[in-house]
Amino acid sequence: MDNRGIPPESAIKDKVLQAPRTVSGKPFVFVAKYGTLIGMFLMLISFSIAAPKFFASVTNLVNIVNQASLTAIIAGGLTMALVVGEMDLSVGYTASLAGVLVTGLIVDQHLPVPVAIAVVILVGGLIGYINSLLVTKLRVNSVIATLGTGSIVVGFNFAYSQGVPIASGVPEAFKNIALGRLMGIPNNIIIMAVVLIILWLILNHSEWGQQIQATGGNIEAARLSGIRVDDIKSLAFIIAGCCAAITGILLASLIGSGTTSAADGYLMASFAAVFLGSATLKDGEFHILGTFIGVLIIQIGFNGMALFGVPTFYQYVFRGSILIIAVGLSTVARRLSKR
Amino acid sequence: MLAVPEITSPDQSAEKRANMREPFLEVIGLRKHYGGVQALKGVDLKVQAGEVHGLVGANGAGKSTVIRILAGVTTLDAGTILLDNKPYVVTDPQHAARLGLSFIHQELNLVPKFSVMQNMALGLPKANTLGLINWRAVQREVKVAADRVGINFPLDVPVGELSVAEQWMVSIGRALVRRARLIAMDEPTASLSEGETRRLFQIIRELASDGISILYVSHRLDEILDLCNGITVFKDGQAVLSTNVAETNKQALVYAIAGRNIATSSYSEASTVSSSPVVLETRGLSRGRSVKNVSFSLHRGEVLGLGGLVGSGRTELARLLFGADRPETGTIYLEGVRWNSDSPDKAVARGIGFVPEERRRQGLVLDQSVSFNINLPTLHTLRFAPFIPLLNHRKADTTAQAISNRLLVKTPSVHTRVGDLSGGNQQKVVIGKWLTRDLKILILDEPSRGVDVGARAEIHKIIRELGANGVSVIVISSEVEELPGLCDRVLVMAEGRIAGELVGQEITKEAIIHISYENTINETGDGNG
Repeated sequence: MDNRGIPPESAIKDKVLQAPRTVSGKPFVFVAKYGTLIGMFLMLISFSIAAPKFFASVTNLVNIVNQASLTAIIAGGLTMALVVGEMDLSVGYTASLAGVLVTGLIVDQHLPVPVAIAVVILVGGLIGYINSLLVTKLRVNSVIATLGTGSIVVGFNFAYSQGVPIASGVPEAFKNIALGRLMGIPNNIIIMAVVLIILWLILNHSEWGQQIQATGGNIEAARLSGIRVDDIKSLAFIIAGCCAAITGILLASLIGSGTTSAADGYLMASFAAVFLGSATLKDGEFHILGTFIGVLIIQIGFNGMALFGVPTFYQYVFRGSILIIAVGLSTVARRLSKR
Repeated sequence: MLAVPEITSPDQSAEKRANMREPFLEVIGLRKHYGGVQALKGVDLKVQAGEVHGLVGANGAGKSTVIRILAGVTTLDAGTILLDNKPYVVTDPQHAARLGLSFIHQELNLVPKFSVMQNMALGLPKANTLGLINWRAVQREVKVAADRVGINFPLDVPVGELSVAEQWMVSIGRALVRRARLIAMDEPTASLSEGETRRLFQIIRELASDGISILYVSHRLDEILDLCNGITVFKDGQAVLSTNVAETNKQALVYAIAGRNIATSSYSEASTVSSSPVVLETRGLSRGRSVKNVSFSLHRGEVLGLGGLVGSGRTELARLLFGADRPETGTIYLEGVRWNSDSPDKAVARGIGFVPEERRRQGLVLDQSVSFNINLPTLHTLRFAPFIPLLNHRKADTTAQAISNRLLVKTPSVHTRVGDLSGGNQQKVVIGKWLTRDLKILILDEPSRGVDVGARAEIHKIIRELGANGVSVIVISSEVEELPGLCDRVLVMAEGRIAGELVGQEITKEAIIHISYENTINETGDGNG
């Protein structure tokens, strides 16, 4: 297009004026953006120096990623819910239910393994969809809504399993999913990579992802741009539910049984990871790569503590502190980037 | 030397002002940048005590940035600010308030559920020894302030139930309670009627004669010339003109603001539009008290204005057409077929676009880029191929670049965060969102509110081009000067009804005002409270 009337200098002038853009006066943003990464490398280096034989071994590093993979999947799903501007506190309980349900369907209902897995992932999606209906149709605050569904999910879990772990008769074919390797790489890592890449593609390179970001950024503007914001929220919740189910299934496969509250702890870990990730590389914006890095940081911390035999209560303190620090960093980064 | 301008209401204010040679507020060499945008490039500003000082300039010229720095909302990069000849360094808005500077923004920052009394007392430390609020003392103080601004409505009603004009009075009253010595007002008359505006001016003049300085930000040059003593014109982050009102006129100001002469729009030749086919028709459309039995038709390529006072139901009507709200009764026909408009996505799919009144709250995802926002309604056209559900970001950027070139959006790049742009450029982005698609109808609600003269002329040009290309445009405007010359036809609304229709040469400022007021006064008895 031609320029109409406005002197072209003005455009050029504005281009030149980009020069003063520096990080000056924004050390906090810098710290928040790259501090998490620096922290991760500091942990890696200090653990490696302290326990070179154990920590820095290839086996252990693969082990870390392997252990991180379950958290990464559930946290990746949670990232979608947070990007769309909602909370999902039910993911941990959904994962626990998924573990019980998948083993139960295989052992008691004699469903073929792939069918059982597909059914359970659908159940996870259904829980997410119900969450979204509570939020979009009933207009219940998502914290409350998912807190409620989370508890209901626990109830169903107990009703189905009577609180007794389903351990005997779990077929090797199911256990081998989490324990097996493909070309030397643990299956969990491969599944995680596939899930995270799909989530990343959805969020950054699909219409849905742009609409999820728009809805989370300004719901009214998104609605007035012709986006079906309620459907988009449902989509985000459904993805979160499905990912939670996948994590639950993999955990059941890993421990070889369906245990009623096995995956509950993933709630805290995934929230901490997602918020830590939002302060990584970006100014408090939730994103998939960040979530992955957040999960790694937490896992490295746990692994290091386990290696050095740190008492269990410190691990809880660590996890709680990480969550608070992560949310704090994320908020500070967002606020300072707007000044 | 300090020239004292002629003052319309002389009495003691002139001599008071003459005594004060030292400026009350002095700003020297102020610099500030946001992201890649240099908002201030060394600005000077002097305000005397008891002076009403007008700040004018295009959007993005730097007025609001100066205000934000004075308010302690943003930090400055470089420069000096003197208050009473002492360095003025503020850390936060409360600090600015303690030093006697009060800021009233367009959005008015009042708590809607709080009463007038509570709002005026906000932030006032009035606790007794038990740490409780001494409401009686507060009440006394608030009463005094309320009387000064002539508040004649009860102090115990929630602010949310007041009119915009009354809320302005509350805001000014609050500034007085905090013993403000300088009050900055941002576009105070944007939502006020003529009568309310006159009342506000009277209050401002009284405050000035009491020695309070006023920083008055507005795009309405006639008001500036009527009200202010001194005027500073901003352009591209610099104060390009600092003058006394007596030494300037509207033309000089416009020239200083724009740096070029803006062709005043004249009425386009007698419209052939009414003979073109009807695109949209409504029959008996009603919703609550805001839209009552509205029937009209919109022709292809027509620019239809919706005039009338604020609150006459124009925005509400537009929202019905776009499906943002649902009508209680009545029908809409789109291209001759009955159309059930119940959600914006359906309207968008049918080629209707909507530029809402509040662009920051309703029109833009501020944290996202220009490109992101422009492409939002048309993401489905950006796939690599119909069967690949992935977006072609390069195509998106090319489209956004073409649109921003066409609309002359001033932005470092299409990847710039939209929140970093100025108001006028943001508005162009909101309009640009709809130009990427096959557009049949574009509804613009107050398209030039808070937009500078240059950008306004450009927006008007875009609207006329759209009309010439067969797009039907509905323009809502509260500024009576805006509709003549822009529209083929104007419907004037009053009290939720279409009170009059003006075509071609009949569209004049006077006619619109006449119809609006004529039909409003009759019904104000049961009007909104």
